[in-house]
This record gives sequence, C-alpha cells and structure tokens, in this order.
Amino acid sequence: MILKASHLSKTYIDSDQRIEVLKDASLEVNAGELICITGKSGCGKSTMLHIMGLLDTPDSGDLIICDKSIQSNSPQASSIRNQELGFVFQFHYLIDDLSATENVALPLLISGINESSAKLRAKELLVLLGLEQRLNRYPNQLSGGEQQRVSLARALANKPKLVLADEPTGNLDPLHSNEVWEMIRKLNHDLNQAFVIVTHDIEASRKATNSYELTDGRLIQLKA
Amino acid sequence: MEILERFFLKRYIKYPKRNLFRFSFIAMVLGIILSVGILSAGLHLFQGYESTLKKLLLESFAHVGISSSDGSLMSNEETENACKTLTEHNEVLSCVPVLQFALMAQNKDKVRAASLKCYKTEETAPYHPYIVSGRPKIASGEVIVGHYLLAELGLALGDTINLNYPRLDNITPLGIPSTQYDYIIAGVFRSGYYENDRNLVISTVEDARTLMMIPEGFSRIEILLKDADEAPVLARSFIEELGYEYMAMPWNIYAESLLRLVTIEKWLIFIVFSFLVLIAGINVISTVSTTIIDRQSEIAVLKTLGAASHTIRRLFAIRVGLVAIISVLIGQIFGILLSWLVEKQTFYRLKGDVYFIDTLGANITIPNILIVFLVASLLIFICIMIPLKQIERLQVIEIIRKKYA
Repeated sequence: MILKASHLSKTYIDSDQRIEVLKDASLEVNAGELICITGKSGCGKSTMLHIMGLLDTPDSGDLIICDKSIQSNSPQASSIRNQELGFVFQFHYLIDDLSATENVALPLLISGINESSAKLRAKELLVLLGLEQRLNRYPNQLSGGEQQRVSLARALANKPKLVLADEPTGNLDPLHSNEVWEMIRKLNHDLNQAFVIVTHDIEASRKATNSYELTDGRLIQLKA
Repeated sequence: MEILERFFLKRYIKYPKRNLFRFSFIAMVLGIILSVGILSAGLHLFQGYESTLKKLLLESFAHVGISSSDGSLMSNEETENACKTLTEHNEVLSCVPVLQFALMAQNKDKVRAASLKCYKTEETAPYHPYIVSGRPKIASGEVIVGHYLLAELGLALGDTINLNYPRLDNITPLGIPSTQYDYIIAGVFRSGYYENDRNLVISTVEDARTLMMIPEGFSRIEILLKDADEAPVLARSFIEELGYEYMAMPWNIYAESLLRLVTIEKWLIFIVFSFLVLIAGINVISTVSTTIIDRQSEIAVLKTLGAASHTIRRLFAIRVGLVAIISVLIGQIFGILLSWLVEKQTFYRLKGDVYFIDTLGANITIPNILIVFLVASLLIFICIMIPLKQIERLQVIEIIRKKYA
C-alpha cells in the first residue's frame, strides 16, 4: 500500500456559508494502480488530491503515506512530497526561465542530486515521453500538450511511488488531451507507476483500474 | 550552499540577460546606482579635501617650530647652533631660521593686513614650488606676494607694493610710529592654502630687518621632518636637547584639530549620504515584494516539489542580490566618474576663506571603495531580506486555487 486516506473531512467557510467539501472520504492506493476521481466542478476533488499530496490539511481523518502517518504541516512533508509523490496540475506550472530539461531536473536538484546526474535523468524522461526534440526549449516555446508532458516528466523525476494529477488535461484541446492520457496509461502499464487522477472527463476515467465519484463530499467507488 | 542554489546561481551568471535584466528591476537598479554614486563621490571628494588640506598644511607650516620661550627674537648665533644640533638628527629634513611679523600691505587706498616672512636660506623655503609667475629668488627691494593678496590690492607682477610696519613696541604720545617702504613684486605664489595666499609676503632677511629696525635675529627655526607624524615626539626631544629656554610647536598643535574636524565632517557626510542608499533600499523592498507576487507560481511549484522555504528565500536573495551587487559596483564607477567631473569642472570654486583651500579634488582610495561597497551592500541586503519573509507565509494551495479561479 502506498497511500491510505481514512475518513477525511474538510469544511470551508465562505462568508456565512459553511461548505462541507469532504465528508468521511476514504481511499487506498496500491502500487501500479491508476485511480480516477470524477465529480462535478467544485465538489472537492482537488481538495481531496491536495490533502493526499500534503498540500492541504483535513479537518479530521488520517493520512498514511508509505506506512507513515503524516500531515501537510509535518516536518517530513516536504521531503515526502519530493521523494514519494509527483504532482501534475491543470496548469503546467513550469518555471519560465528554465529549459524543459532543467524543469524536469528540479525535483532531483532539490533532493540533492548533482546537476549533471539530474540533467541526465531528466533527458531520459523527456526522451521516454517523446520530447527528445524539445530538451532545451523553454516553456513558452512548447505546445500545451508538450508543456503538460514536461510537467509529467518532472512528476516522475524522483521515481515517486505515486503521481497525483489534478485535471492534467483540463487545459488542453482533445488532441493534446488524448496524447497526455495515452502517456499516463503507458507509464502506468510499462513502469507500473501508480496514479491518482482527478478529472471531469468521465470517458477517460473508464480506462482507469479504479474509479471513484465524489458526490456530496463522499467518495463512491464506480469501478474496482 | 545547496545544490539547487548553486544551480540557480550558475544559471543567473551564465544567462544574466534572461534572469537578471528584468524590467521590474530598473527602478531598483537606478536607485542603487544613483545613491551609491553620490555616496561614493561624496566620500572621495571629502577624502580629497582632507588629504589636500593635510598636504597643504604640512607644506605651508613647519613640522616643528622652535622659538624663544619668552617670545624674544633668537640671535644669529643661537639659530646657527640650534640648527647645527638639530640637523644631526636623521629624522630632520631641513632646518631654517625665519623672521616673520604682521604688517600692513598697501596699494594707494587699498590696505590689507598681511604677514611678512623671510627665510635665512632660500633654497629650502617651501613657497618655491608654488611660484606661478615671476621668479622664486629675490634681491633686496623685491618681494614675492600671495596670489589673493595681490588680487585684493589690485596689483600685478612688476608693480610696487607698500609695506607698513606699525611699531607696537614703541607707542608715543603722538601715536604708533611706523616704518614703511615700497618693494617691487618680483614673484607671485599660489599654494592653494588660502590663508597663505591671502596673507603672505616674502622678502629678503635684510629688507625685513630694515623694516623692523632690528640689527639681527630671527623669530624662530622652522624644521621639516621626513615623517610629519613624528613631530609631537621629536618636538619634545628637541627641547630636551636644546634646553628649556626654547619652546617647540609641532604642527599638530595648530592644525590637528582642524584636520580632525574635517575627518568628522567627512564621516558625517558619509552617514547622511548612506540614508540615500537606505531610500534606494525602500525601492528594493518594493521590487522584491513585486517579484514575489509575480513569481508566486514559481514559489508554489518549488514548495510542491519539496523545496524548503529557506531555500526558496535564498534563491530570491541570490537573484536580487546579484543585481544589487552589480548595481553597487556600477554605482561606485559612477561615483568615481562624478568625483572626476567635479574635480575637472571650472565653474565652481571653493570659497578659500571658508574652506581654507579653493580647489576641490578627489582622492580615491581602496579602503574607501571597500567601505562604500560594504555599507551599501549591507543596507541593500537587509532591504532584500525583509520582504523575503513573505515566502514563508505563502500557502501553495491558495496560489493554485487562485490560478484555477
């Protein structure tokens, strides 16, 4: 088991309104799984993912990552985010001043791997994701699909146990969206890489090994 | 320094155009360049003023002056014996008896207070290098006059000047008798030290004695030393050797307080001008705060990827710090250029009667360059670090949500 989220609850106060986005949500992720979480916009999918990625704290509930109980404010949180988890967001969040290779090398540099080894690993990943012609391009010189593939390569840089993706194709046209989904499935199949993907693309979620729907703050399993 | 910080530092240095030359940095860079330039020019010019004044004081005054304790004139024999004893010291460069007294210099209806001075041995007289017209050697009936005194009396080289010595030691019921003679101006000197250029008239010893109506004698012995800073110690030892019927006046007695005042003034100006750097620092705070807001996504991504807040803070500090250091260095070059321009300009001259010298010169020294660099860098570094505290408080999740919204 890579990650176990048990009975997560999260409530936001918006003006005088109390919005309970997560109610007793539980999820378990094992190696090699491709899990999709779907739901309506604003239903709390991203919040669920952020809590699992140690970027947000639940009001109640437990989170175990690699057999360690942890919260976003724990001292080890940043090292777990660096070593055990990978992130892909709806927006690529690449650093404009760095080339594709350098962006992918970032997590490795943060973990203390020297620059040449980090760049070598980054290049391997970019080649794996079909970006061998784009190694030295800057984000603004890449297409939307390419930017998201660089972002995916960056998420995989430290060989994380789990990649958390928040609407990874939300900003892409159908052609590029399909390209990214194919890449995710390929990585899941070839490298046995575990993914938890939050999406509103119900069609794409059907190809996942497990899929859940978040409705009224509760996670309902659709496919096992 | 962590690997990530080294990586970014290398990138900033390798690709400065892409990473450092940002439009948002322009106001900060200009502020630093201007403030450091002014601070630097101020210090170089004041250093120049201080060193010029010290040099002129040491060249215009004897390093040690020896005279009779009771104020009476020293006889020729006394001065000869004293000079013989004193020149045996290795530290003594020259030893010359001089005669000096106050009188009135006159040209028709223009009258000015002046001081007549004559040297027993003209070869060692300190005014020689400052002769601007005429000749340094004079014969009986000739004088050398200071540039400003000449101008105030409306005279020129070759004209006649009337010197009037009021005999204050011989007051009669009819008033103060005086002796006066006309002399031809054979030379004009301009030392740069206003007091001398405005007061001094140089004559031959014989002419001075005739004017004073004395057969022989000198006011004092003027000693130049190899190292002027040794004057206070040597002055004491000279008196111990010559006897207590004489008194010794090292140059620092009458000039050191002035030099100390100038030094204090120099550092006061430095402190005041440092506030300009501090004002430029406010610009730095604003630029860094704007950069943090602009780069929120970058901060969020680095935090998400596991970078610690202090590492991100250092990355920003390195980036802005490099720009700031380059600006400080350019500011220092600008300061040197500015002081050079002030030195070369001809439309403004110092008022000699206020500042003792009439020319403004810069003295650029390595310690002063280092002091400006260190003080400016420290002030700007503090201004960089203050807004960087915001990074700690930035919530990744808020930034991501804002981007989605």
